[in-house]
Amino acid sequence: MERAEGNVGSPAAVLECRNVGRSFDSYDGGGKNEVLRGMDFEVHENEFLVLFGAGQCGKTTLLNILAGLDMPTEGQVLTRGKKVTGPAPERGMVYQKTSLFPWMTVEDNVGFGPKVQHMPENERQARIKKYLELVGLTGFEKNYPSQLSGGMRQRVGIARAYANQPDIMLMDEPFGHLDAQTRYMMEEELQRIWQKEKRTVIFVTNNIEEALFLADRIILLTNCPTHIKEEYIINMPHPRDYVDPEFLRLRQLITDNMDLTL
Amino acid sequence: MIDNTKDSRFSVKQLIVIYTIISLMSLLAVWELVARFTKASMFLPPASQVLVAFCRSFVEPIGKRTMLAHIGVSLYRVGVAFFFATIAGIALGVGMGYSRLAEAILKPIFEFIRPIPPLAWIPLSILWFGLGDTGKFFIIFLGCFCFITVNTYDGAKNVDPELIGAARMLGANERQVFFEIVLPSSVPYIFAGLQIAVTAGWSAVVGAEMIQSNEGVGWMIVRGMNTGNTVQIMVGIVAIGIVGFILANLTSALERRLCAWNEQKGM
Amino acid sequence: MEEKKMPKVQVRGLTKRFGDLLVLNNISFDVEAGEFLCIVGPTGCGKTTFLNSLTKLYKPTEGEILLDGEPVDLKKHNIAYIFQEYSTMPWLTVEENVGFGLDIKGVEKGKAKALVDEYLEIVGLAKYRKYYPNQLSASMLQRVVIARAFATQPDLLLMDEPYGQLDIQLRYHLEDELISLWQRTGTTVLFITHNIEEAVYMGQRILVLTNKPTSIKQTIDNNLPRPRDIASPDFVKLRNEVTDLIKWW
Repeated sequence: MERAEGNVGSPAAVLECRNVGRSFDSYDGGGKNEVLRGMDFEVHENEFLVLFGAGQCGKTTLLNILAGLDMPTEGQVLTRGKKVTGPAPERGMVYQKTSLFPWMTVEDNVGFGPKVQHMPENERQARIKKYLELVGLTGFEKNYPSQLSGGMRQRVGIARAYANQPDIMLMDEPFGHLDAQTRYMMEEELQRIWQKEKRTVIFVTNNIEEALFLADRIILLTNCPTHIKEEYIINMPHPRDYVDPEFLRLRQLITDNMDLTL
Repeated sequence: MIDNTKDSRFSVKQLIVIYTIISLMSLLAVWELVARFTKASMFLPPASQVLVAFCRSFVEPIGKRTMLAHIGVSLYRVGVAFFFATIAGIALGVGMGYSRLAEAILKPIFEFIRPIPPLAWIPLSILWFGLGDTGKFFIIFLGCFCFITVNTYDGAKNVDPELIGAARMLGANERQVFFEIVLPSSVPYIFAGLQIAVTAGWSAVVGAEMIQSNEGVGWMIVRGMNTGNTVQIMVGIVAIGIVGFILANLTSALERRLCAWNEQKGM
Repeated sequence: MEEKKMPKVQVRGLTKRFGDLLVLNNISFDVEAGEFLCIVGPTGCGKTTFLNSLTKLYKPTEGEILLDGEPVDLKKHNIAYIFQEYSTMPWLTVEENVGFGLDIKGVEKGKAKALVDEYLEIVGLAKYRKYYPNQLSASMLQRVVIARAFATQPDLLLMDEPYGQLDIQLRYHLEDELISLWQRTGTTVLFITHNIEEAVYMGQRILVLTNKPTSIKQTIDNNLPRPRDIASPDFVKLRNEVTDLIKWW
């Protein structure tokens, strides 16, 4: 890939990850433990980008860096040409463990972002209503997260991220803890939500079916240190079929290109 | 067997109540028998006699006051001390748990004071605060304070970092993270601390009331000891036990109400 | 050899009520000796209750489960389980973990050691026998669990979504390993999963459950040749068939 010199971001990209590397001091203190190397990619307006790869190492670190919760030891992250220096509500995050605030009701969770940003109350209520409706949770406003099923909790997480109307959504294996069938449902739901209110999305997963079902583009990552191995443009029309021959062909193609780590 | 749907005339809840009653009754029965038919009767009045004296104490004063008034005085002392211990304990605990700097400065001092039993402070408290209520508050305060601090500290330390990250991503600043995330997620820990502390404070009241005093359940025991009145000692002990039991249950009931979100876990 | 083979497991009219709530509704099926039977049902079907009834954690309200023609008795019959969580004991080494089941069953020391050696060899962990679980990767842990289950030479092996959270390639790999281990040992396996593709990939027969109250919706024979190809038209056809029976989403 060719790239402009220096820190000048290209205007079309919503987020650019420029040659990002991250190392941690290893436990024994002597060496370095490198988890990310030379991550270089960008994501465009309203694109659904999936980062797909096996293994635990690196992917969450990468998302934390994109979020601004962690800093790279090499390279930098730019949003709309501006360097990321810390977390900001322009970037919404959806987590695998949902990370809902357990002592808050569903509506308080969804309204948390607007609240800490001092949005006027009537406007805030309208936001809550709108996004609970979007994710199909109207009627569950007063429930606590512990009273909801796994799929429903993930819907709250998505609504909470949407409620800030972020410029970009970061999703860290949001359906990783769900069973295979609930997962299919949530993938269809996310697709529906996204079609209805498009955002630029960076979605991390280790599930190939999920990646192919959702993505405009898939970046295949390899493990330890995590770096980019391959990039695939996915042009199949939505809604996609998990057993469509083209779907299965791409699935085979991409999994064959993965490194098996035992 | 995990299965509790077996054919049984009683539910698990009913069985627990039944066993509790049986256990208490057997304790009283053994006490009564030992006190009546063994050499221990010299020092241990029988249960029946203590219970009668206990009931009478509600109408006939011991010293200047009746039982309820004695309990009231002691509760007032515990209440005041507990109130200040709660404020100080939560503040110190959350502070040390959330701020590395506060932890570095305060934790060594706290760890030094923590293992000292409250009763060890009695002589000093007399010197410092005299024989009035202030010294008693001080002793009881020390009895409660550490438990609240330690638990709150644990709670604030154990906040899920992902929750803090999530709040920051949603736009919360440091102050909001502290009040909206760190504090509420410590609440179950704080309550665990309060529950131990209320019992500990109630135990410390006896020690506190050994300092010059003429009322309170602790005084009742000390007075009984000085006059060789074993029945009065036992009546004081029973009163302390019952009130302590009620206090512990009240705090956990309060916790269940305030931490409803924490209750339904594991669904 | 007997003339007429008795089924290894016979489930007869299994019914479970919690108070007024009917969870399992009159479930009957057989499992042949050495069969690999997959059970798949919609999310939230009484899967856990079903399993707990098989393992006798719950007493069924009605019905019975026979193993080799006798009512299941955990003291007499040897049933092994593999669940989703890697339930290795963190304070035991790999070989101690594999030998754990044998130890509990009171297998004589020398024989137990031979079995441990044999199965460590089969799953390729002989080199790691002195390691502790926290020193191993996810796939190795899974193998320890599998070796431990097979080493007890169980009458019946129950597996409950053992590969639910694994990366896809690792899952493929372990699934193939399990199949070859099963073919080699002739163990009777009951494999419960939510993953339809996995059920079609693994089983000789698929038992499709309904939603609560759980009953058997259909039993499907699966004679696809092994190794199976998830992209082949026959596979896709069978997968769609099962999906249509279950689909709620």
